[in-house]
Amino acid sequence: MVRKIIDDIEKSIRETAKKLLEEGKVDLIIGYTKGSIPLRSGPCFITDASKTDMLVWNQSCDLNLAKYLAKNDDRKIGIISKGCVGRAIVHLIVEKQLNRENITIIGIPCEGVLNRAKIMVEIGDKEIIEADIEDDKIIIKGKDFNKTLPLQDYINQLCITCHYKIPPISDIILGNKKPEKPLKDDFKDLNEIESKSSKDKIEYFKKELNRCIRCYACREACPMCYCTLCFIDQNKPVWFGKTADISDNFIFHMIRAFHVAGRCVSCGACSSVCPMGIDLNFITRKLEKIVKERFDFESGISLEVLPPMGTHKFDDKQEFMIEED
Amino acid sequence: MTDESKENLTEEWKPKIIAFLCNWCSYAGADLAGVSRIQYPPNIRVVRVPCTGRINPFFIVKSLAYGWDGILVSGCHPGDCHYISGNYVARRRFAILRDLMIFLGIEPERLNFTWVSAAEGERFAKVVRKTVENVKSVGPNKIFNKEW
Amino acid sequence: MVQKMISKEKISDLIKELQKEFKVFGPVKEEGVVLFKEITDAKEICLDYSNSKIPAKSVLFPMIDTLFSYKKEEKGVKIIENPPYEKTVILGIRPCDSMGFSLFKIFFSFGKYKDPLILNRLENITLIGMGCLEPRTTCFCTSVNGGPFNKESVDVLITEFKDNYYLESSTDKGEALIKKIKSLTDADKGDLAKIEKLQKDIESAIPVIKGLDSIHTKLDGLFDNPMWQLDAQGCLGCGACTYLCPTCHCFDVLDENKQDGSGRRIRIWDTCQFPLFTLETSGHNPRTTKLPRVRQRIYHKFNYYPKNYNIIGCVGCGRCIINCPVGSDIRNIFMSVENSSSKTEG
Repeated sequence: MVRKIIDDIEKSIRETAKKLLEEGKVDLIIGYTKGSIPLRSGPCFITDASKTDMLVWNQSCDLNLAKYLAKNDDRKIGIISKGCVGRAIVHLIVEKQLNRENITIIGIPCEGVLNRAKIMVEIGDKEIIEADIEDDKIIIKGKDFNKTLPLQDYINQLCITCHYKIPPISDIILGNKKPEKPLKDDFKDLNEIESKSSKDKIEYFKKELNRCIRCYACREACPMCYCTLCFIDQNKPVWFGKTADISDNFIFHMIRAFHVAGRCVSCGACSSVCPMGIDLNFITRKLEKIVKERFDFESGISLEVLPPMGTHKFDDKQEFMIEED
Repeated sequence: MTDESKENLTEEWKPKIIAFLCNWCSYAGADLAGVSRIQYPPNIRVVRVPCTGRINPFFIVKSLAYGWDGILVSGCHPGDCHYISGNYVARRRFAILRDLMIFLGIEPERLNFTWVSAAEGERFAKVVRKTVENVKSVGPNKIFNKEW
Repeated sequence: MVQKMISKEKISDLIKELQKEFKVFGPVKEEGVVLFKEITDAKEICLDYSNSKIPAKSVLFPMIDTLFSYKKEEKGVKIIENPPYEKTVILGIRPCDSMGFSLFKIFFSFGKYKDPLILNRLENITLIGMGCLEPRTTCFCTSVNGGPFNKESVDVLITEFKDNYYLESSTDKGEALIKKIKSLTDADKGDLAKIEKLQKDIESAIPVIKGLDSIHTKLDGLFDNPMWQLDAQGCLGCGACTYLCPTCHCFDVLDENKQDGSGRRIRIWDTCQFPLFTLETSGHNPRTTKLPRVRQRIYHKFNYYPKNYNIIGCVGCGRCIINCPVGSDIRNIFMSVENSSSKTEG
C-alpha cells in the first residue's frame, strides 16, 4: 500500500515536471535521482522535458534540495519538495535568501526517509548489492547474505517526530495528503540523553564526534548553512582549530548547531550525508526543543513570523539569571 | 578580608573565571564595588565589552576551550540598555547557547549570566561570590582537554 | 619469494610475535566502521572485512601530523624534533590501499624537495597485505594497474584459503620478516596451485573500465568541456571523496601555540574541494566555484599524475563512489570523458 502510494507519487512527479518544462513555466526542475549504489539518491537537474524519467521518489531521497537554490539565481526553478524541503524554502524566504517568484514548489507527501547509517551498522562492513523497500520491510541482498529489516526501525528519527509531511506552502501538491494538524511533541526521545549526568553526556558526544574527519559534508548539505565564509574557515584571525582533534570537532559541531538554532528545519540531511555515520539528529532535535519551549517557534512554517534570533521580547524567560538571595 | 576570600587563599585550586561586563552598567557596577571597597573573591578577570550584545558566543566557547573554569556575562537590566535592545539579544543568545551546552554535557554551573546596573556595587560583589561558588561546585574545567 | 602458511586460529600468535619487534596496525571494527588502528590486543583485529572506511594512509599520513615542536627560550627558539619513528607493520592492508603507499612514495620524493618525515616512515613500515576475496561492485582496481592480489606494493601478501592464511613475500624486507616468524609453517604445495586459480578467478571477475590507460590524453582536450558543469552542479563541495581517498595527500601546515610559549607545527589534511584550498594571500582565488574544484580532482589523478610521474593517481578502491553524499560516481565521469572525447574527435 505504502509502496503503491510512493510509486504513484513518483509517476506524478515525472508527469508534472514534464508538463511544467513543456509549458515553459520553469527553466529547471530540481528533483531526486537514483544514486550509483543502493539506498543512495542524488540530486537531479532537468532542463529537458524528455529526461524527466530520471526523477525518482522513494525512502532513500534524504537530501534537502533547498540547498541547490541560490540567492542570485534568476532562472525559474521547479523544486520537488517534501515537507522539510518546503520548510527550508520558507525559512530561506523569511531570511531573504530566496525570491519566492522564481520558485515553483512541487509539494509531495513524505512518510520519512531511511537512516542509512543505522542500516550500515546492522549490515556491518558488507556490501549491499541490491536493496528493495516493500510496504513495511527493507530487503537487502549482498554477495552471500539476504536480510529483511523492519522499515519502521530504520526510518530516520527526525522523520518519526516530523509533523510536516507536506510543505507548508506549495504551488502544486501531488498525492492526496491533506495538511495534518500538528501533534503535540513531547520530545520524549531526548529523555534518555537529557537524564544523563554532564560527564556521561560529554562522553557520549565525544565518542560520537571522535569519528568526525572534518569533511564538512554536514555543513555543505545544510540548507541553512549559506554563509559565504563559515566561522571555521575564517583565518584572519583564526577562531577555532581546523584539526580533527576531538576538542576541535566538538567545538565545530557545537557552534554549527548554535548557528542553526531557530533556523534548523529538522531535515536530517547533516546526518544522512555524513560519511562516518555520525548521528547529529540528537543535536537537531534538541535545537527544535529549545526554540519550541523557549520561544514557541517552529522554523519554516510561516512567512510572517520572525525567527527567534531575529527578534526579542522584554519578558523573555530568564530563569538562568543569578538573583540576589 | 571576608571569610570567602580567606578560604581562597588556603584552598589549592583557585577557579579562573572570565567575566564579560558591559561598558555602561556592569563594568561601572564593578567599578563602584571597587571604589566602595566591597570585598569579593579575586577569581574573575574582566573583559570590558561595549554591550552584552557584542558578545559573540565564540567568546564563551573559546574561553572554555582554553581552560577557563567559568564564565560570567553581565549587562544592563532589561530596559536600561545603552543601545536600546543589546541585552535582549544577548539574553536570547545566551539562553540558546546555555541550553545547547548543557545538553552536550557542559555543567550549567560554569555558565553564569546576570544583570548589574552601574549603581549596584553591592549586587556585583554578590554576583561574583555566587559565581565563584557555582564554579567551585563543579571543579576545574577539563572538558576540552586540548593540549595545544 | 617465500611462501608460508598459518591457520586462522593462530593469527593472534603471529600478531603477538610481530608486536615484540613492531608496532602493529590493523583493521579494527568500531560501531560498524572499520578503521586502521594500533593493535594492542590481538583479539581486536578484524581481518574479515571488505575495506576500511578511512584508508590505511592514516597510519603513514595521520590526520594531525606533528612536523616538530618548539619552545621559546631566553635566547631564540628551541626546535624539538619528533621521536624516531618506530618500526611498524600494517597488517591486513588491501592491495589497493598499499598502491596508495607507492604513490605517496613517488609524490613525496619527487624532484628537488623531499619529505623526510614520510620517506622515513615508509622505510620503517612493512606492509603485510591481505588479498581481496570479495571485491565490491564499486571496485575497479584492475583498470588502474592494480588487482585484488597485487603483490607489487606490499612486502608480504596474505591470501585466505580454507582455514589457513597463506603468506607470500614479494620484497626482501618481506622475505626477511616471514623467515623470522616462528609461528609460520611451510606452505602446503598442493593448495598453492588452487590459490593461484582462485586469485585469477576473482581478479577476472572485476569489471574492467576501458580506456583508463589513455585517459590523460583524452582529458587534454576537455578542460573547457561543458561536461564538468553537469558533474559539478550536484556536488555539495564536501571533502568526503578526497579525505577518504588512498592517494589524496594534500595538506595544510599550521602552528599551534600553548600559552607558555611552546608549540608545535602540524600538518592536517586539506582538500582541493574546499574554496579555501586555493585562496591566495592577496585575496585572489583561482577556483571560486565548484566546477574547477570538481575538475581538479579528476585532472590531478588522471592527467597531471600520468604526465608528471607516469602513473595513474587512482587505485580503484571505489571509496569516493560509496561515500559520496550525493551519489556521484567517478565511473560516470570516465564515461562522459570517453563520450565527449570521441565527440570532439569525430
